[in-house]
Amino acid sequence: MGLVKMQKSLQDYTKSLFLEGILDSQFLQLQQLQDESNPDFVSQVVTLFFQDSDRILNDLSLSLDQQVVDFKKVDPHVHQLKGSSSSIGAQRVKNACVVFRNFCEQQNIEACHRWLQQVKQEYYLVKNRLETLFKLEQQIVASGGMIVAFEPGF
Amino acid sequence: MQRDSFSVSIENLPDSPMGSNKKMNKVFDKMTQWVTPWRSNSESPRERMILRGDVEQDEFQYASSHCLSSYYSVFVVRLAIMVMLAILIGLLTILTWHFTRIYTKQSLQTLAYGLRYELLQRPILRMWSVLNTTSELTTAQVKLSEYVIRKYDKPTTQEELVEMYQAMKDVTWTLFASAKALNAITINYRNGFVQAFHRDTTTSSTFYIFSDLKNYSISGTGPKDVNGWNNQTIHGNMSAIWYQQQLDPVTGAMLGKPRRIPPDDLISIAGISQVPDGEASWHVTVSKYMDSPLLSAALPVFDASNKSIVAVVGVTTALYSVGQLMRDLVEVHGGHIYLTSQEGYLLATSTNGPLLRNTSKGPKLMKATDSEEWAIKTGAQWLQKTYGNNLPHVVHAENARLGDQQYYIDSFYLNLKRLPIIGVVIIPRKFIMGKVDERAFKTLVILISASVCIFFIGCVCILILTNGVSKEMKLRAELIRQLDARRRAEASSNYKSQFLANMSHELRTPMAAVIGLLDILISDDCLSNEQYATVTQIRKCSTALLRLLNNILDLSKVESGKLVLEEAEFDLGRELEGLVDMFSVQCINHNVETVLDLSDDMPALVRGDSARLVQIFANLISNSIKFTTTGHIILRGWCENMNPLHDEMSLNVDRKKPLAPMKTKLVQHRNHFQKSCKNANKMVLWFEVDDTGCGIDPSKWDSVFESFEQADPSTTRTHGGTGLGLCIVRNLVNKMGGEIKVVQKNGLGTLMRLYLILSIPDTVEQNLQPDFSKYGLVVLLSMYGSTARRITSKWLRKHGIATVEASDWNELTQIIRDLLETGSRDNSFDSQHNIADSLRAELSTIQEIENPVFVIMVDIGVLDLTTDIWKEQLNYLDRFSGKAKFAWLLKHDTSNTVKTELRRKGHVMMVNKPLYKAKMIQILEAVIKNRKRGLCNGIRNRGNGSDESHDCLEIDPTHYDTCSSDDSSETSGEKEGDKPVKSSTLLSPVLKNYLIDTTNRNDDSTSASMTRKNTEEEDWKDRNNRLYSGIALDGKNPKSLEGIRILLAEDTPVLQRVATIMLEKMGATVTAVGDGQQAVDLLNFRSINAQDSTQEQKSSEEETNVNPQSSSRYSSPYDLILMDCQMPKMDGYEATKAIRRAEIGTGLHVPIVALTAHAMSSDEAKCLEVGMDAYLTKPIDRKLMVSTILSLTKPSTLVTSYSA
Repeated sequence: MGLVKMQKSLQDYTKSLFLEGILDSQFLQLQQLQDESNPDFVSQVVTLFFQDSDRILNDLSLSLDQQVVDFKKVDPHVHQLKGSSSSIGAQRVKNACVVFRNFCEQQNIEACHRWLQQVKQEYYLVKNRLETLFKLEQQIVASGGMIVAFEPGF
Repeated sequence: MQRDSFSVSIENLPDSPMGSNKKMNKVFDKMTQWVTPWRSNSESPRERMILRGDVEQDEFQYASSHCLSSYYSVFVVRLAIMVMLAILIGLLTILTWHFTRIYTKQSLQTLAYGLRYELLQRPILRMWSVLNTTSELTTAQVKLSEYVIRKYDKPTTQEELVEMYQAMKDVTWTLFASAKALNAITINYRNGFVQAFHRDTTTSSTFYIFSDLKNYSISGTGPKDVNGWNNQTIHGNMSAIWYQQQLDPVTGAMLGKPRRIPPDDLISIAGISQVPDGEASWHVTVSKYMDSPLLSAALPVFDASNKSIVAVVGVTTALYSVGQLMRDLVEVHGGHIYLTSQEGYLLATSTNGPLLRNTSKGPKLMKATDSEEWAIKTGAQWLQKTYGNNLPHVVHAENARLGDQQYYIDSFYLNLKRLPIIGVVIIPRKFIMGKVDERAFKTLVILISASVCIFFIGCVCILILTNGVSKEMKLRAELIRQLDARRRAEASSNYKSQFLANMSHELRTPMAAVIGLLDILISDDCLSNEQYATVTQIRKCSTALLRLLNNILDLSKVESGKLVLEEAEFDLGRELEGLVDMFSVQCINHNVETVLDLSDDMPALVRGDSARLVQIFANLISNSIKFTTTGHIILRGWCENMNPLHDEMSLNVDRKKPLAPMKTKLVQHRNHFQKSCKNANKMVLWFEVDDTGCGIDPSKWDSVFESFEQADPSTTRTHGGTGLGLCIVRNLVNKMGGEIKVVQKNGLGTLMRLYLILSIPDTVEQNLQPDFSKYGLVVLLSMYGSTARRITSKWLRKHGIATVEASDWNELTQIIRDLLETGSRDNSFDSQHNIADSLRAELSTIQEIENPVFVIMVDIGVLDLTTDIWKEQLNYLDRFSGKAKFAWLLKHDTSNTVKTELRRKGHVMMVNKPLYKAKMIQILEAVIKNRKRGLCNGIRNRGNGSDESHDCLEIDPTHYDTCSSDDSSETSGEKEGDKPVKSSTLLSPVLKNYLIDTTNRNDDSTSASMTRKNTEEEDWKDRNNRLYSGIALDGKNPKSLEGIRILLAEDTPVLQRVATIMLEKMGATVTAVGDGQQAVDLLNFRSINAQDSTQEQKSSEEETNVNPQSSSRYSSPYDLILMDCQMPKMDGYEATKAIRRAEIGTGLHVPIVALTAHAMSSDEAKCLEVGMDAYLTKPIDRKLMVSTILSLTKPSTLVTSYSA
């Protein structure tokens, strides 16, 4: 596959991520922050996000499996997840977190469980997609191409 | 209540309660009969409804119970009205009855009293007269006796005595005979001699009774010898011999011989004992000859000297006549009258009953209580029982119950000194009041029956009246139910859109997966061409499906009111130009012209939601394209000022007419605006999307805006689509305070007109229109599409640019020859017959212009591209390139060979279709600029070529086909190239600068033969630079935060990293901490240090500080703190409070900017409350952050950072 085609497919892939609402403009800002001084900035941050989120989701699962759910503990976790996901532009995770938080405030355990699953689902989705994205980028870089930041046209 | 009211009136009617109870029962029966049909009515539909679903049944039960309750309330109201009616009628009845009865009774009683009084008065008067008569007679007898006795004063001889007696006898007889009522007159002489006349009423004979004179001394007793009077001489003295001689009652002549009678038969003779004090005396006696008591009076006869009593005269009158009178009186009334003495002895009664008691000692007086007559007896007993022995003088008892009847009992007291008499009248009540009571009863019966009748009639009336009301209520209940149903329906429709929203959300996930997987598949390079094509097709379809889902989501978002429009400045014209460019690609394929016609007064910058605005027009235009096969699609835009006159003038004639209905609405809007937001700088922007498609049937004009509604159901088959587009459009337009409707247009097609209300940023100078008229420009428009040509030429003429139009190659060549081949001008005029007169006139005016600059716009479509003729045509045109500037209108699919050929020939101004104002302006500006330079530099080199080609790239944001995968990488490169231009908002000046800058740069460069490829690469690089240093575009200085020291308190590692990099990129020095406590500690530590080492710092500031000026800000360790609000250990609020507390007294104020994911305004308030200075929401928007930071750090810093 030619470099051009690969770049094209990266473009399309990135575009699809935006079209599906998995990512938002925040991700672009991240991409724009990446330069020679921080060549792996995006993947660094995203990896950081994955680590952080894995931990948070783990904590959340533990907290919600307790006999007596302490919502005072759950809520900051969700909030943090929301903050970090919105920082990398994973807007569907963020949206799920918003709903999740509402249920936390209502102390609706059942809904919280449901939405934890939802958040996880979204999280794994964005994780998969971002990993694919990075793989594509690596392919391009490996074949000597240049990563062009994506600009949404809508 | 009813029962009460009735029972009150019933009290006096012993037999009525049962009857009325029955009536009441009937009334209730009737009422329940009235009620039951409603119940059955209300229940029957319910049974019907049971057949339907369970939910409906439940709902209906609720509704029917609601209905039932309303029926009951009707019933209760009816009952209440009836009860009130009953009370009213009852009261009326009672009052009527009461007043008639009471007044009658009272007057009757008054009369009865009078009657009784009269009744009693008369016997009393009779009695009185009897007494009087008796008294008078007695007195007369006494006077006569005195006279006679004085005449025979002191009779000494027997003869004298006899003579005197004889005289007395005569005198007495005379008197006795004259008074027929007298029963007897007796004269009892002192010497015991008795003379008496007596009438025996039983035998109607008159007797003379005398004692013999044997034992009587003539002298008699002396006056002193009063005691000598001895009754024994009369009754007990057996020595006296009594004779009785019958007399003729009229003449007094003796009939037969005197007969000797035993003393027992003697009548009572008044003796001296009866006049003990010499006064007259009265008493009641009895006689065996009379069955009634006798009234006897006794008077003494004094002698001449008035000293001694010589005789006693007694007069006895029978009370028989009084009794007779009384009998006559009361006979009519059926009552009784009796008179008694004070002791209670009967004197006279109105009955025939005996008044005397026969005892062994002869008849005796009878007590009234012992009377044989029942009424008198019981009456007397009642009186005695009631009053005892102290009978008051006057008694009026009205309701004395004797036996089982009621009587009136009245008594009077006739107070005679010697003989007090009591009269008693006993009259049975029924003889007086009987009729009245009977009438009263009848009246009552009549009244009650009348009342009952009225009550029933009233009830019927009420039922009839309230039946109407209840019908109305039923209707109302029905209405309420309908409303309820409607509300439910609305709710369910809401659920529907909610469901749609949720579903589309759910659907998007798998869709995204599908697309993602397809992308991976596409990027895989071991696909065969066929497979690749198929996968690409699938990819396109998936994208289309995704877009549809997004549409639904949009719609439900708008419908559920969750869509919030953002408010940001954007270049309206540019957005619309981009849109038209995008769609023109599609249109050119369809052989449809896309024209953008924005009036000059449109504001360049407006505030609003650009994405949604574009969405509106994108939907409208794509809709138009769908239905337009030939002709044109025009997007018109003009601006309505608040001055109505002005906009009337600016409107075309055909626009004005159908505008009327909308305009009225708009006027209201405008008034509203003028009132409410005078300062807000709102503007009404009108838009029209005009196509020449199949049009919409007028009956569907309103309904096309409904969701899932299409003008013609068959369109789905032919054109696809779901009918959501226009619905979204309308919702969005309404959301922006506008309105959209289909309006009548002349000719084919549809004309959608809408207006939006957008605010304009007041700082920016609007409508900077370049003035072209002074350059003497002449534009030859040779364009294939007539609409665009007409509109463009109109605009050009308006701006003072002479314009000639040409629609095809022949026309173009003729005009060119006319204008440019000056030498052969005359010939050409002759030869060109086909040029219209108007055109010719125009040409001649153009030729008047001094030193004209010709600009020839040539549509590439004018050339014949199908064969190779175009090259010849090009060569022909090339001949004029020295005299005129050629600008080419290219299609997006114009082949590269044509482009290179053009470029090779030095035709450098190329724009992609469609041509609109902005492009025209740029072309003209470029022409003017070149001309100026050309004037200065003489001949221009070919460097312009790359310059202009660059231009055309910049001003030509086309190829917006999101899912076209057949574009070359070059096209996508172009696409990206124009994106930053398009999306940034402060564009016009930037773009112009940029254009000029690049022009200059390229001018300076000597690489005249720079290839297109090179240009592209340079462009590419440039673009990348801009992208990676994003801030450069608007901030101009990538290191705008140079030297600012920032403390970042953020617990989320991701955000911490992002923010740090972000800030550091802009030159800031960032210290990141993980929570609020650390931030506070750090700050305290640093500030203490700083304070301690102020001097030191000052001395060494030259070396240590990067930014010397920042040290002038006294000992503040950080210029700014970015504080996350929610952190472990100590949250942002607490940390801010702590910092602010620590700052008290130091005069410091480190700006603190809150970073929060809470987007609520209340959070903002909270942030500001605890002492933060500004507020940024996550995710961090870089521009906003920069501007916030710059505004908070001191202006001096800014200056420094710029200078640095």
